[in-house]
Amino acid sequence: MPNDTLAAEALGARLPPLLVAADRVASTVAQGVHGRRRVGQGDSFWQFRRFVSGDPLARIDWRQSAKSGRGAPEGWFIRETEWEAAQTVSLWRDASPSMRWRSRQVTVEKRDRANLLLLSLASLLLRGGERVMMMQQGARSVTSRSALESLVAELQAADDDNGLPPLVRLPRHGTVVLFSDFLSPLDEIRALISRFAAVPVTGYLLQILDPAETALPYQGRVRFRGMEADGIALIPRVESVRHAYAERLKAQQDGLASICATAGFGFGVHRTDHPPEMALLTLYQALAAR
Amino acid sequence: MIFVAPWVLVSLLALPLLWWLLRVTPPAPRSEIFPAVRFLLGLNATEETPARTPWWLLALRLLAAGLVIIALARPVLDAGTALAGKGPVLLVMDNGWAAADDWARRKEAAAALLDRAERAGRKAALLTTAQDGSGTPIAVSATMPVADLRARLAAMQPQPWPSDRAAAAEAMHTWHDNTDASVIYVPDGLTDGADFSRFAAALRDTGSVTEICCDAASSPLLLPPTSEADRLVVHLAQAPRVTPTAASVLAQGGDGRTLARTNVTIPAGASVASAAIPLPPELRNRLTRLVLEGPPSAGSVVLLDERWRRRPVGLLSGDLSTADTPFTGSIYFLKRALGPFTELREGDAATLLKRDISVLILADRPLPAGTERDTLEEWVRKGGLLIRFAGPRTAEAATNDTDTLLPVRLLAGDRQLGGAMSWSQPAGLAAFPPTSPFAGLPVTDDVTVTRQVLAEPSADLAARTWAALQDGTPLVTEAPLGAGRVVLFHVTANADWSNLPLSGAFVDMLRRLVELSVGVASAQNNVTLAPAETLDGFGLLSQPPPAATGLQADKFGSTPVSPRHPPGLYGPESGRQVLNLGTSIAAPEPAPPIAGATLETVRGSARERALGPPVLAFAIVLLCLDMLVSLALRGLLRARVSATAAVLLLLTIPAAHALSNSPNPAIDTRLGYIVSGDSQVDSIARAGLEGLSEYVNARTAATLFEPDAVQPGQTDLSLYPLLYWPITADAPELTSAQAAALNDYMSRGGIIVIDTRDAGSGAGFAPGTEDALKRIARSLIVPPLAPLTGDHVLSHAFYLLSDFPGRFTGDTVWVQRDQDRTNDSVSPVIIGGNDWAAAWALDAGGNNPYAVLPGGQRQRILAYRFGVNLVMYALTGNYKGDQVHVPAILQRLGQ
Repeated sequence: MPNDTLAAEALGARLPPLLVAADRVASTVAQGVHGRRRVGQGDSFWQFRRFVSGDPLARIDWRQSAKSGRGAPEGWFIRETEWEAAQTVSLWRDASPSMRWRSRQVTVEKRDRANLLLLSLASLLLRGGERVMMMQQGARSVTSRSALESLVAELQAADDDNGLPPLVRLPRHGTVVLFSDFLSPLDEIRALISRFAAVPVTGYLLQILDPAETALPYQGRVRFRGMEADGIALIPRVESVRHAYAERLKAQQDGLASICATAGFGFGVHRTDHPPEMALLTLYQALAAR
Repeated sequence: MIFVAPWVLVSLLALPLLWWLLRVTPPAPRSEIFPAVRFLLGLNATEETPARTPWWLLALRLLAAGLVIIALARPVLDAGTALAGKGPVLLVMDNGWAAADDWARRKEAAAALLDRAERAGRKAALLTTAQDGSGTPIAVSATMPVADLRARLAAMQPQPWPSDRAAAAEAMHTWHDNTDASVIYVPDGLTDGADFSRFAAALRDTGSVTEICCDAASSPLLLPPTSEADRLVVHLAQAPRVTPTAASVLAQGGDGRTLARTNVTIPAGASVASAAIPLPPELRNRLTRLVLEGPPSAGSVVLLDERWRRRPVGLLSGDLSTADTPFTGSIYFLKRALGPFTELREGDAATLLKRDISVLILADRPLPAGTERDTLEEWVRKGGLLIRFAGPRTAEAATNDTDTLLPVRLLAGDRQLGGAMSWSQPAGLAAFPPTSPFAGLPVTDDVTVTRQVLAEPSADLAARTWAALQDGTPLVTEAPLGAGRVVLFHVTANADWSNLPLSGAFVDMLRRLVELSVGVASAQNNVTLAPAETLDGFGLLSQPPPAATGLQADKFGSTPVSPRHPPGLYGPESGRQVLNLGTSIAAPEPAPPIAGATLETVRGSARERALGPPVLAFAIVLLCLDMLVSLALRGLLRARVSATAAVLLLLTIPAAHALSNSPNPAIDTRLGYIVSGDSQVDSIARAGLEGLSEYVNARTAATLFEPDAVQPGQTDLSLYPLLYWPITADAPELTSAQAAALNDYMSRGGIIVIDTRDAGSGAGFAPGTEDALKRIARSLIVPPLAPLTGDHVLSHAFYLLSDFPGRFTGDTVWVQRDQDRTNDSVSPVIIGGNDWAAAWALDAGGNNPYAVLPGGQRQRILAYRFGVNLVMYALTGNYKGDQVHVPAILQRLGQ
């Protein structure tokens, strides 16, 4: 019980700044992005069309009808709004130990950046009227921005992750967005993506990497230890293996990109020393284009 | 610098090997956590050459290793030149009284020279030139290894008597181990008698001499003081020097407290100097020793016994009205005779006996039965010395036989010799009997006695006679009474009956009598006094050494100190006599350096310093550094440098605020408050003035220092420009001294701010201060007062003020009414009740602990501003008043 209380307090202490940062990032991206460009349910005006029989009387725009100067019913106009159909976007971020790491050159851990991007995206999507849900057991989709806080709570609850998204029932034709470092073997990831593609859903994979993971800036004799029991590597001269490492990383990313392309998923890479707005904009545009 | 074990340095050759070993051994890897380690697995196969240890780390390690080797070779710094000769070394050490003052340095110098002997593997023997207290004759010790001799050297102590040069020379002549020997001589700088040349020759004969010399001038020798009327004159002797020597002599009481001190300067080239210590007799009687300030030694201590104590003498004459008349008064000659060496007191018997006096002299004052005689008799029984002079009144009283306080019964009437109607000649003085205290005084034949009172013959009359006339009739008789004594001069104390008072013998006789009066009858001359406590070489009283023996009481002035008679206290508790080192010692003479000796100075022959341990320590520090660097290279050291620095910075931030303090109130300007006696009121006043001083310092060019508490009548008020005076309800009326001090202060330009602290709401806090103010002001010269208004200088001395609040507000502030020109129309007194100090007060944190009433920051600021105006008014007077006229002056100047 005390542990729960403490956790709740810690959460409460962290919430506002995280949300504020997420909102701030989201609002810088929201400008200039448009809706569905189709007639449908929504608030913004789309077009007027002539009344056809069967249309409910309540939807007649009497002011426009009066301006036309013709008699009923050929002079009647219906006001149509732009369709703002809500789509369910499922979000997931990797909470495995390897995400809880940062190198000395940056100030933010990979997981914190993933949290920020996830919440910003959620905020942005909720503003656009989409439905958002966390990809985890028992999670429910939310539609209002005030539900962001419950997202945060679920984010904290999903701490004991094993590096792969849980098997939950996803709405068909939905969208999934996965935030992770995607350092696990390509086969695992391929299996995961093909599982998603079978639902069917589409989505986007954002690989979040620390600058040290891309550049390997160490020197001299270094003993590297992994964070998930993936072994110890003693490198006598790190300088000399930098190139080989970069090639291996490139191979991983290329593999990821090809997996995603096959399944119709998007793929992007984000480094934690880059501003989060860039990644969010890319992400949002990729989702909006769908 | 030399190396004790130089062969160890060979291992420096191994350093290149170490260099190579360190080169080929890769440094320990750093440890890093890295999530993408999967990509790194199996990559090390492409690596050929391991990483190298950085060159500077390699250099650090080599340096540490080199230092360890050098330290093991035992380098020695300041190694002196080796001693001449190959045989045993004889250490000759002067340990007489003159060696005590820098004894530790002497031992160190000797030890430094012994170091060299030890390094050369030579044996050593020791010879001390002063005999020790056990009475064994001076002899050279057995020749032993230096390490053993060092223990003996450490146990050696200086002795309180001089060195015995002749015996030391003899001991050297009889020393047989002297083949190829060398001599280390540690002198005390004095010849200590006539045998020094023999001693020097003996040193030269023994071997080549190394002498530690020349900068160890012995401190002066304190000689026994001489006693004068109102002072003690101390004497110092020393071997003449080229520069003046300054010394201080402390006079100490029995409990070790210093009762007086005097500074003596021995001029350059002089060997003696004196200085006086003026002391009231009561203090002088408490003196037990004189001490020369400086390093302790037997020569810097003089013990005092009864001989140096003063004895106050009371004078009482029969006829008080004419007693002082020059040449004829009954006590005129007594005062002239006793004045130079004793303290005289006059008055009636009761007054005289109120204070302790040693001797009471009655000049022709008969003592009929009554309280006066009883008092005197009681006093004598307790140990007083009563000296009576005869005269017409005494002779008349003897007729009635009523006076019993006399040593002998007197025959009625007096006896006249050599008058016009008499056949007999005036009688002269006979030689003093040997039992008399006057024994030994020269008998002059110019003393004649024309009249005297006669003692009734009795069996013991002769024994009681201390002086007699040539015809055998007693002139001075005495009788013990209780613990004291009554002495009768059978003549008058003036020249009426004899010319004894005109002669020098009279002075001597009185002096002897007064010396007799200590309450301690001097011991019989042939009594041997055993030593009770004696001085050791450092001038401390301790148990007598085994060789000490008793000394006859009459030989104290002529016996030189020696192991048999060490300086110190002799005799029983009740009658201690003192034997001092300076009493019978020859004047100190500087000893010449030994001819042909190698001279080394005490400071120059510093101990050899072994460099090994510090070098080894440095090497260890380097190795520790190496360890830290290695840890840092492996990434295991997370130095929280910034946090540590921040903590250190926090620690070094000084206290928030503090007025500077200065001990001299005359140099720095400061405010004062008059102590009310109520500790809370005083602390508020102090805090208030501190707060005001800080405010003034921050906002004006004036620099005020910490305020002072002042007590009118005790403190010099003239140093304070402004006095703050909080009145309490129970303030007592001023004493005349206090009122005089305050009136004087006000009349000379001082300003007193009187605060009754009872304005507005303050009436509840300080009730009754109005009455206290009336009570106090009764004795103060307060000018006519008027309310302080906006056109008074005080309201615009710095800030423009129309209101003068303190903690309270609304009270009228009163200042001097008319702007009369005395004192530049500066009001000497400002009276109000607003409790300004409480408004000004700051606590340790710089906050205002007392809320202002009714309140508001504005009121606080106005209170401070009024305070600034007060200070400015006190410092600049009516300067701002003059500024009022500036426009008019400018207009007249045509500007």
